[in-house]
Amino acid sequence: MDLVIALGLNGIVWGLIIALIALGLSIIFGLLDIINIAHGDFFMVGTVLAWAVLETTGNYWLAFFLVPIIGFGMGALIEYAVIQPIKNAAALSIVATFGLSIILQESVRATYGAAPNRIAAPIEETFLLFGIQYEYYRIFAALVAIFAICVFFAFLHKTKLGTWMRAVRFDPETATAMGIPARRIYMVTFAIGFAMAALGGVVAAPITTVDFQAGIDILPFCFMAVIIGGLGNLEGTVAAAVLLAFVEGIITSFADPTFARIGSLCLMSAVLMFRPHGIFAGATR
Amino acid sequence: MTTTTIHRVGTLLLILFTLSAPWVLPIFVDSFWVDIYSEILIWSLLAASVNLLFGYVGLLSFGQALFFGLGMYGVAVGIAKFDLSFWPAFMFGVALATGMAVIAGALAVRLTWHYFAIITVVFSLIFYFTALSWKQITGGDDGLPFSVPPIVSIGDFELVITNPFTQYFFIVLMVGACYALMSRVINSPLGRAFVTVRENDTRAALIGLNVYLIRLSAFVLAGFIAGVAGALFAFFGRYASASYMFYHVSGEAVVWAIIGGVGTLFGPILGTGLLIVLREELSSVWDHYLLLVGVAVIVTVIFAPRGVGGVFVALVQKYAKPSSSDKEGSQ
Amino acid sequence: MTGVPLLEVNGVSKRFGGLSALDGVNLSLETGKLHAIIGPNGAGKTTFFNVITGTLSVSGGRIKFLGDDITDKAVHQISHHGLARTLQIKSVFGSMTVRENLWIAAQSREGVFSVFKNWKKCTRAAEKADAICDQLGLTSLANQTAANLSYGDVALLEIGLALATDPKLLLLDEPICGMGPAETEQTVAKIQEISKHTDIIIIEHDIEVVFKIADQITVMANGSVLAQGKPEEIAENAEVRTAYLGDEDDD
Repeated sequence: MDLVIALGLNGIVWGLIIALIALGLSIIFGLLDIINIAHGDFFMVGTVLAWAVLETTGNYWLAFFLVPIIGFGMGALIEYAVIQPIKNAAALSIVATFGLSIILQESVRATYGAAPNRIAAPIEETFLLFGIQYEYYRIFAALVAIFAICVFFAFLHKTKLGTWMRAVRFDPETATAMGIPARRIYMVTFAIGFAMAALGGVVAAPITTVDFQAGIDILPFCFMAVIIGGLGNLEGTVAAAVLLAFVEGIITSFADPTFARIGSLCLMSAVLMFRPHGIFAGATR
Repeated sequence: MTTTTIHRVGTLLLILFTLSAPWVLPIFVDSFWVDIYSEILIWSLLAASVNLLFGYVGLLSFGQALFFGLGMYGVAVGIAKFDLSFWPAFMFGVALATGMAVIAGALAVRLTWHYFAIITVVFSLIFYFTALSWKQITGGDDGLPFSVPPIVSIGDFELVITNPFTQYFFIVLMVGACYALMSRVINSPLGRAFVTVRENDTRAALIGLNVYLIRLSAFVLAGFIAGVAGALFAFFGRYASASYMFYHVSGEAVVWAIIGGVGTLFGPILGTGLLIVLREELSSVWDHYLLLVGVAVIVTVIFAPRGVGGVFVALVQKYAKPSSSDKEGSQ
Repeated sequence: MTGVPLLEVNGVSKRFGGLSALDGVNLSLETGKLHAIIGPNGAGKTTFFNVITGTLSVSGGRIKFLGDDITDKAVHQISHHGLARTLQIKSVFGSMTVRENLWIAAQSREGVFSVFKNWKKCTRAAEKADAICDQLGLTSLANQTAANLSYGDVALLEIGLALATDPKLLLLDEPICGMGPAETEQTVAKIQEISKHTDIIIIEHDIEVVFKIADQITVMANGSVLAQGKPEEIAENAEVRTAYLGDEDDD
C-alpha cells in the first residue's frame, strides 16, 4: 500500500514536470503549427546543461536560473536559423525538427559521451511517508513545477507579450494588421517553449539520468498530454499530464508500466479520432 | 534527348547495375558492398512506402515502421514459433502488415495534416510497446533470431537464402516486383486520383472522387510495401527485434524519402543509398557523422524540398527536349 | 414541363452555432429551365449550394434531386447522382495541365480504382477532355499548367471540370465574377449553349446577365426564399425591389 502511495506521488511529481514541458510543446504546436519532434531533446539539453552547471560551479541552485535563460537563447537561435526558413514547407516541418533532434542528440553525445550520468539532488534529506523514505527533493521539484506553470499562465494572461501571443494564436492575420509583430512573437514562443522544457530538465535531472537519449521517452508522453488535454487547451494539457503520470505511477506498482503506456496511447488515438479537442472540452483552435 | 528517353535510360542503367552487382562491384570495392546494396534495396522499400503516401497522396506518415515490423515479425514468429516454411512465412508477414494497414488506415486516413502524422506515430508506438512486453512471442528487446528454411525444395534441388547469390537475387526480385507494382499503380487512373486528391481534396470530392477510399488504398499499398521490406529484412538478417518498430526507424525512412526526392519512383533508392553509403563510409572515419545527417536533413527541407531526385527531374525537364507524351513531373 | 421536379428542397436550414445561415428554405425547380438565384450578400446563396452538394450537412429539412433523397449523402456520391458545381473562389488542380484536369474529372465516371491500365490508355476520358476543351475554347491551352492560367481561363476550366462529369444539373456559383466585359459576354454565351442540354442553376450578382439568360429567378434573403418567378414577375415584385434591386451595389 505504501508503495502505491509513493509511486502515485512520484506520478504526480513527474506529471507536473511533464506538464511544464508539454506546455512548451503546446504553444509551439498551437502558435507555429509545428510538430516539434525535438522537444524531448530540449528537455534533455536542459538536464545536460544542469549537469554542466553543477560540474563547473558546484552549485545546483544556479542551474535553476541559468539553464532556462540559456534555453531561451538557444530556442530563439533555432527559431531564427531553422524554423523561420521552413515556414514555406510547413508539411516538412516535422522532418526538419527530426533533423534537429538528431543534431541535438549527437551533439550531446559528442560533447559528453554516451554514458549516463547521475546528479545528486541539492536536497538530499528524506522523510517518512507511510513507512517509506520519501525524498524532499521530489516535493520541491513538484513545487518548482507548479510555480513555473503559474508564472507561465500569469505571463500569458497578464502581460502585454502574453496577450500578443494569445492574439496571434487566435487570429494571426488580424493580429498582424493590428500591428503585433508576429515574426517576433513566433521567435519568443519557440524560445519560451525551449526554456520551459529546459527548466523541466533541470528539475528532473536529479531524479532521472542525464544522457543524450533522455528525450526519447519524454516526447510521446508530452504529445499524449497535449492531445488528450486538447490542442489549444493549456489547462487541459496540465491536467492530462498529471492524470496520465499519476495513473501510470499507480499501475507501475502492480503491473508492467508498458501497459499503462499502451493504454494512454490508445486513449490518445481515441481522442484524435473522435474528440480532437481533447477530453476536457475547452478552447478550440 | 527527350525527357522520356532520359528517364528510360536511367531506369535501364539502374536495372543493369543491380543485376550485375554481385560480379561487377567486387572488382572495384570490397565484396561486402554487395550485401550493403541488398540492405539498401530492402530499406529503400520502406522509404518508398513513405514516398508513396507523401509524394503522391500528400499524407506524411511517420509510422511506417509499424508495417515493417509486422512483416519482420510475421516471418520470424511464423518460422520460429509456428514452424512455417519459407513462402507461408513470407505471406504471413506481408498479410499481417497489409491487414494492419487496412485497419490502421481506416482510422488514420480520416485525419489529415499534422494529425495524420501524429496518429501514425501513435499506432506504431502502441505496437512497439506491445512487441516489447510480449516477450514470449517476440523476444522483446533481446530480439528473435531464427534460421530460415529453404526457399524452394524440390527433390534434390534446393535454394537456400544462406547462399549469397540466391539471397541477393531473391531480394532483387522481390524489391523489383514492388517497384514495378508501384510504377503500375502510379501510372494508372488510381495513381492520377492520388495526385488529384493531394492537389485539392475538396475539388476532388466535388468531381466525384471518393477521397477517403483513395487515401485508404494508398495507405494499404504503402503498408503492403513496408511489410514486404520487413519480411525481406527478417530473411536477410535472420533476426527480428522490437527496436525496428520504433519511431526513429520511421523517421529515418522519411529522411531517406525526402532526401532522395518525393514524388519520384526511384527517389527512395537514391536517398536510402546515399545515406547508407554515407553511414558506412563516414562512421569508420568520424564517430559523429550523424551531425552531418541532421544538418543535411534541415538543409534539404529549407533549400531543396524536392530532394536530390527532384533536382534531377527538374534539370532533365529544363535541358532535355519535351517528349510527345509530356506529363507532369512524376516518373 | 411536368414530371419529377429537378430539385426539391423542403424546409432546409443550416445553423452554425447561434447563426442561422439558412432558415426553412422551400424550393421546387423544374427541369428544362435555366434557373438563377440572386440576393444580397449574406443571403445564404453559397451556403445553399454547399448544402445541396453535400459539402455542408443540413441542420434540418430534406433535399431531393430528380426524386432521389440526397440530403445525407457524401459529396462524391452526390456528384455521381449527376450534380456538378463550380466554386465561387476558383479551385482547380493547379499542378496539372488543363487536359489532365478535365481527364480526371471525366475518368471519375469510368471509375478510378483500376490499377492495371496505364491512364493514358483511357481514351474515353481523354476524348471527353478534348471535347470539352473544344467546347470552351481551351484547346490551345490544353497542355498549359492550370496554375499558370489567367483568371478568366481558370473560370472556364472550373466550368469544364463540372461539365466533364456529365452532370444532369450544373450549379454555377458566380461564374463571371471578376471578368472583364468581353470575357463576360463569351462566357455567358457558352453558358447559354450549355443550358440547351443541361439544367443549370446559377448564382449571379450581375442583374443584367441574370435577366438576359434566366428562365426562372429565385430571390433569397436572410437565409430563406423571398420570391420566385419569371424575370418579369421578379422585376415587378415590390418586396424584392426594396430588399435588393433598390439599393443594389455592384461589386
